[in-house]
Amino acid sequence: MRNQIRSTDLLERVAKQTDGAEIYELHSLELPVRFRAGVLESVKVVETAGRALRIIKDGRLGFSTTTDLSDDTNLLQNALESARSGDPAPFRFPAKQPAPSVQCFDPHVEHLDEQKLIALGEEIVEKIKAYDATLQIDAWAVKELEEVTLCNTSGLELVSRRTVVSVGASVTRAQEGDILIIYDQDTSRRADKLDGTAVAQRIIERLRLAEKVAPVETKAMPVIFHRGGVLVLLMPFMVGLDGRNVFLGVSPLREKLNQKIFDERFSLIDDGTIDFAPRSTPYDDEGTPTARKFLVEKGVVKGFLYDLKSAALAKAQPTGNGFKSGFRGGGFRRPPGVAFTSGVIPPGEKPLDQVFKDLDEALVVEDVMQLGGGNPLAGEFSNPVLLGFLVRKGEIVGRVKNTMIAGNVYDLLKDKLIALSDRPEWVFGFVHTPAIALDGVSVASK
Amino acid sequence: MRDQILKALERSRADYTEIRVEREWRTEVAYRKENLENLEASSELGGIVRCLVGGGWGIAVFNSLDNLEKHVEDAYRIAKAVSAKVLERVTLAPAQPVQDEVRVSLKKDPRSVSLRQKQELLSRYNELMLKQSDKIVSTNARYTDSFKEVTYANSEGTFIVEERPDVTLLVSATAREGEKNIQRGAESHGWLAGFEAVENQEEKALKAARRALDLLKAKPVTAGVYTVILDPDLAGVFIHEAFGHLCEADFLFKNPRLQEVLKIGRQFGVKELNVVDDGYLPGLRGNFKYDDEGTPRQKVYLIKNGILNSFLHSRETAAKMGAQPTGNARAVNYQFEPIVRMRNTYIEAGSASFEQMLKDIDYGIYACGSFGGQTMIEQFTFEAMYAYEIVKGQLGELLRDVVLTGNVFETLKNIEMIGNDLVIKGSSGGCGKDGQFPLPITAGGPHIRVRTLTIGGKAA
Repeated sequence: MRNQIRSTDLLERVAKQTDGAEIYELHSLELPVRFRAGVLESVKVVETAGRALRIIKDGRLGFSTTTDLSDDTNLLQNALESARSGDPAPFRFPAKQPAPSVQCFDPHVEHLDEQKLIALGEEIVEKIKAYDATLQIDAWAVKELEEVTLCNTSGLELVSRRTVVSVGASVTRAQEGDILIIYDQDTSRRADKLDGTAVAQRIIERLRLAEKVAPVETKAMPVIFHRGGVLVLLMPFMVGLDGRNVFLGVSPLREKLNQKIFDERFSLIDDGTIDFAPRSTPYDDEGTPTARKFLVEKGVVKGFLYDLKSAALAKAQPTGNGFKSGFRGGGFRRPPGVAFTSGVIPPGEKPLDQVFKDLDEALVVEDVMQLGGGNPLAGEFSNPVLLGFLVRKGEIVGRVKNTMIAGNVYDLLKDKLIALSDRPEWVFGFVHTPAIALDGVSVASK
Repeated sequence: MRDQILKALERSRADYTEIRVEREWRTEVAYRKENLENLEASSELGGIVRCLVGGGWGIAVFNSLDNLEKHVEDAYRIAKAVSAKVLERVTLAPAQPVQDEVRVSLKKDPRSVSLRQKQELLSRYNELMLKQSDKIVSTNARYTDSFKEVTYANSEGTFIVEERPDVTLLVSATAREGEKNIQRGAESHGWLAGFEAVENQEEKALKAARRALDLLKAKPVTAGVYTVILDPDLAGVFIHEAFGHLCEADFLFKNPRLQEVLKIGRQFGVKELNVVDDGYLPGLRGNFKYDDEGTPRQKVYLIKNGILNSFLHSRETAAKMGAQPTGNARAVNYQFEPIVRMRNTYIEAGSASFEQMLKDIDYGIYACGSFGGQTMIEQFTFEAMYAYEIVKGQLGELLRDVVLTGNVFETLKNIEMIGNDLVIKGSSGGCGKDGQFPLPITAGGPHIRVRTLTIGGKAA
């Protein structure tokens, strides 16, 4: 057994051979519990550790990762070789800056053992089974503890501990020529915020509404994007507000800064500072403080998201959105890139049932297939509806089958916004949004 | 390492224990437009223990080998907790213990090619695309290589060391005309080979860029039901995604309704239709000699002479369904347990020439390549990269926005001609299932002709 080297010691050695360096070290413990077809299938304990080294040498960037924490040679050699052909480094690693206070760690998560997680999953499975025992129910519960050390040659040294817990289920009912899939989950950094019962109830509520099938006509009509359906509208913003796409000139929003191009009731915020939200953190994976910032404010484009590299290239300021790949940030294997923290859409004033009542006929879209289908960079979407309901005269009359929706998000949010509902909800733990009703969305049905 | 593993296996209290340790060397070069987004040389070591206790699985994943016995103990403890909950105890189909060491010899081992050479090669392909026209507004070019040494051992006496190399190349170009007309062309390839496989591939970069440009002028398809010829790429994606996954026994055995539909011996297509998952096709991705349970690779006929013949199995699913393991228990890396996965899946060649297929079509569609798609049990949706109209037996104009949808069983029945021109290929991505992505696989077929396939355009 060789001794592990501390990141700070390694950094000292690396500093002598480079013009700047950054080490990101991750230790993580995950405990996923999985149920398949209503039965406990497997439990896993995943205890991983790895380190990434980013260097600047002769003005060029180099990158390498390893899982060998005792290695003091290969990682640096690899990074140096990478820097010999690397891209010019347009930035310097940041010194420590003041950051917002954000709660990311819940000590109770440490004590969640496999028995408790199994019980969490069982609770969901049993509740759904009680509604209909013939459904195919897949469910999971998982906890995660992370310790990240980030240090660089500008004197930054951060150690952060984070927790995440998540429960969810996917329910399938398959009949000849008709497949119903309903998915829901809840994710938080805090154990007592997790509500398995609510996940089960939301699924059952939708199963009930889905009992009847309602035919929908092919035409342009009002569509209410609800829960997972809202992600359809967010996809174009995720790529269009990405500082890399702005710098590369491929985002249509690049020339619209400070222009009002959307309905003034629509705003979009990126917020890394919400206590215990799964993507919250005081610093991003490059050591830039996160913030709460308007990307769209009352219809006006207010800003883009940048990591260190894209900010330097675009001559903008980094926004605390440099994250390593993976849905929750995290992971040590990839170099940082631009990513949202939590997306927040401020609500409107009408209760959802009032939004329904004001519409003669509308389609509620809760989940789609091929998210990102169509051409999100151009604002376009084109998706088969996985879960959608038809509303007539204020009431949900049934579930729609074999239905596609399509449109252009930028155009629709400009002058087709009917209403935002008054109660925002967390969607998949990373977007906090009301339901959004838009008119004139193309609906095609077979 | 060998002694450490054997000792940990020996001390395990579980009914069955297996340990897999992977050492990986990998590099990646990635361009987006002129921007070098990643240039990386990395290494990784990690392992997984799987214990079976009282018919329940417990799994432990780790990076440090220092305390292997603790990880075995973790897996054992968890397995015990699971076994208290299982309704049906997991058993494993019997297997012969194997002792083997599988080394590969590559023409140009990527580990001995400098990162600079890789970067320069990819930069050349990238520039070639950018240079084609000022209408090319963005590109993606990515090269990856990975060389893995996998050590697998279990408590039944199997001990295997196997080398698994893999290289991939993606070149993709986006062309734009005006604000709204944005089109993409891509060539995506993967091989079980050395660096030589990605050299001299300028033609692929040119093809990607030219296709994006051509598609700017293509007309959108009119939605409808047509006689459709699928090219080998799209035939492969169809047979892998829409049909192959249904034959993976771990999906099937927990789905009683699907078991009703997928009865061995049932007729699924014309007599000429043969669908194969082949463990060994030299040079193709995923051709490792053993799967991640130590079962040797095999050639399995999923459909033989139009009749459903076999499923793909792990030792667990084989035991449950009274079949033989087929060597399809695969894990994407050491962080995952093996699950049932395909390898090289294809439709065997038939007898029709492409001209014969075209001949009597009055109006139809020739659909090529795939940008991916989605399947929902037997329903599928695939987006073709591009297509041509077929008018009175002749190829006509280039078409875009071609999306194919349907029911896999109906579509299999509607295959009316099978070409004589089998092509099997790997892509730069891979197969995804249960969070395990990207697993190296290949897929293919000859040209196939399907009557009455639904083509949607982009929803109007």
